[in-house]
Amino acid sequence: MILDLHLHSDRSDDSRAPVESYLKLLQRKRDERPLDGIVLTEHRQFDPSRDFRDLEDRYGIRVLNAAEVETDYGHMLVFGVNADILARFDFADVRLPAQEVVDAVWRLGGVAVPCHPGRTNVGLCAHYETKPPLAGVVAVEALNGGSRKGEDERVAAMMAAHGYAGVGGSDAHLVSFIGTVATAFDADIRDMDDLVRELRAGRCRPVDFRPQRTPAASPA
Amino acid sequence: MPLEFDRAILGQEFDRVEGDPVTVDELVAFARALGETEPCYVDPAHPELVAHPTFVVRYRGRKFLPDTLPDPLKTRMSFDAGKDIEFGVPIRAGDRISVTSSLHDIYEKTGRSGSMTFVVVRFTIRNQDGALVGTIDNRMLYKR
Repeated sequence: MILDLHLHSDRSDDSRAPVESYLKLLQRKRDERPLDGIVLTEHRQFDPSRDFRDLEDRYGIRVLNAAEVETDYGHMLVFGVNADILARFDFADVRLPAQEVVDAVWRLGGVAVPCHPGRTNVGLCAHYETKPPLAGVVAVEALNGGSRKGEDERVAAMMAAHGYAGVGGSDAHLVSFIGTVATAFDADIRDMDDLVRELRAGRCRPVDFRPQRTPAASPA
Repeated sequence: MPLEFDRAILGQEFDRVEGDPVTVDELVAFARALGETEPCYVDPAHPELVAHPTFVVRYRGRKFLPDTLPDPLKTRMSFDAGKDIEFGVPIRAGDRISVTSSLHDIYEKTGRSGSMTFVVVRFTIRNQDGALVGTIDNRMLYKR
């Protein structure tokens, strides 16, 4: 199964994309971006009342709900958000203590995945240059659809050094970016419990559906 | 350091402006300037003449920021970070439009360039009957 693990809808302050618009595009572009599901990761918030069953039925695409939070080691995707995690952390706080987030989210049944780790200021790589590595991280976002040149390459080195598994996410804020990068799973992902189980085990790998540039041929 | 402020200042009205009655000429001139051709926007004699929906963005308060803006932000430069507009009932000739300004939200976020504070000033725009004509959320970005 292939899911885009990182995207933002019009609930995030910097996106205007309705969830249904994402699904319409994925339906049209199924040949190029063969996704089975998407995971909404709104900035600094989580609404447990969001119900996507009607959209799932209409478009045949799984829609799950997670969050992107901001910590003292950069941004993290939190999967498996539940009432205990919401009671433990104020998602609007842009200075959450990263080690506590990783530990407590795990203990409370979820998993925290550092996202765009190669990004300046808000990526894990930058913080590892001056601070000790976090304990308990099992996977990081190896491929992010919004990465600039060199950012994902930095992540590969960090993953090798720390033995992290990798995921992929488009980080879409615009409809056209959905599913350009995603995560492949061998297991069936029916719900968030399945997703958390597979992420915790590191049974995941990033996939890239962006058109790949081929080097220009040298003149004869 | 997080920005400390009293969240009770959010949602409080800090300015109200009421304009002169909207004229047919204003509605038609605006629509024609956009290149609009639909008769209901550009024909002064049309029985259902209404303002083009984007006419609503002409309206703003006299005072753009409240006195209650947290002190650390008062002396810092800000950038226009965009607007969100929700359209309500159409504006018609003769309408008297009022604009009420309130401090809608203040929030922080972090990005490649560091920490940022966003201030959102909301214009609530109504006609003489109190019907909602539009809501404009103006976002301003303050770099830390």
